[in-house]
Amino acid sequence: MAFQEELEPEGGVATRPDDAWVTLVWNDPVNLMSYVTYVFQTYFGFSQAEAEQRMREVHENGRSAVSTGSREKMEVDVQAMHGYGLWATLQRSGE
Amino acid sequence: MRGFEPRDAAMVAELDDEERTVLARIVADVGLLLGGERFGLEGEGEPEPIDSERALFAALQGLEEALAEPDDPAILRLLPNASPEDREVADEFRRLTEADLRGLKVDRLRRMWRQLSEDGEQWRVERVEADATAAALTDVRLVLATRLGLSTDLEVDALHAEIDLAVRTLDEDEDATGVDHERVWLGMLYEALTWLQESLVRCLMDGDEPDAARSQDLGEDDV
Repeated sequence: MAFQEELEPEGGVATRPDDAWVTLVWNDPVNLMSYVTYVFQTYFGFSQAEAEQRMREVHENGRSAVSTGSREKMEVDVQAMHGYGLWATLQRSGE
Repeated sequence: MRGFEPRDAAMVAELDDEERTVLARIVADVGLLLGGERFGLEGEGEPEPIDSERALFAALQGLEEALAEPDDPAILRLLPNASPEDREVADEFRRLTEADLRGLKVDRLRRMWRQLSEDGEQWRVERVEADATAAALTDVRLVLATRLGLSTDLEVDALHAEIDLAVRTLDEDEDATGVDHERVWLGMLYEALTWLQESLVRCLMDGDEPDAARSQDLGEDDV
């Protein structure tokens, strides 16, 4: 990537405080693959191809990181996912 | 039963009286589970103020004390832990969001219950209501799946085989003592709801296709 973080201390982790959190969506046997894809398209604005790729990641790897940002922003995303009936969690990125 | 098909600006499924009654009952049960009122018993047209009052009260309570994680695994699946590794993050999330999520889910279930309680075989869901209906169907399926002990894909397959076997046993009038009738009945309800939801989501995705086709024509969004 061409873009470099400035003010990064030597050997530091390349994350800005704003991007330090991540929203994970977890696999479950109830949610339909079509529904998960539809939710990813509708809420995150992913293209159909991208939404399907994330859905497959959830299905095959057990989880997918669907968004990153501040803790407050991730709380909003996790709440939205729980609203749709998907199981989502938030955590500091890199954990 | 007929799955959802697009019609005008709506999606329409067909259910006979018995199917509607069974569905309306399970929808009402999930509403109660989430702390909603018993649908149909409240004065029609006034439930919203009661709900927001309750949500406000719950929110105010939440300021005083952290909400405890629900004991019932079905409720926990509808209002899951947002951070299993970090208690502080999980508690704060629950305090901030649980009352709103409960309110949202109960409102959707109530609207679905009303649609199912109308006369006639058609279950008509307007396009603007369809996302909420698909989400409410998910909530009902999540509760049934918890009651059925479905936590892996293999368990879902095993349930399907169990239902198949039970139906065949009953058809052939064999000794059906080995059949857990309640479990088979719940399982069939779960599968019917799965099928209905799949048909609804298919309608939604097909309806969105013109947009996808357009962006492909522009040569963007690919990979």
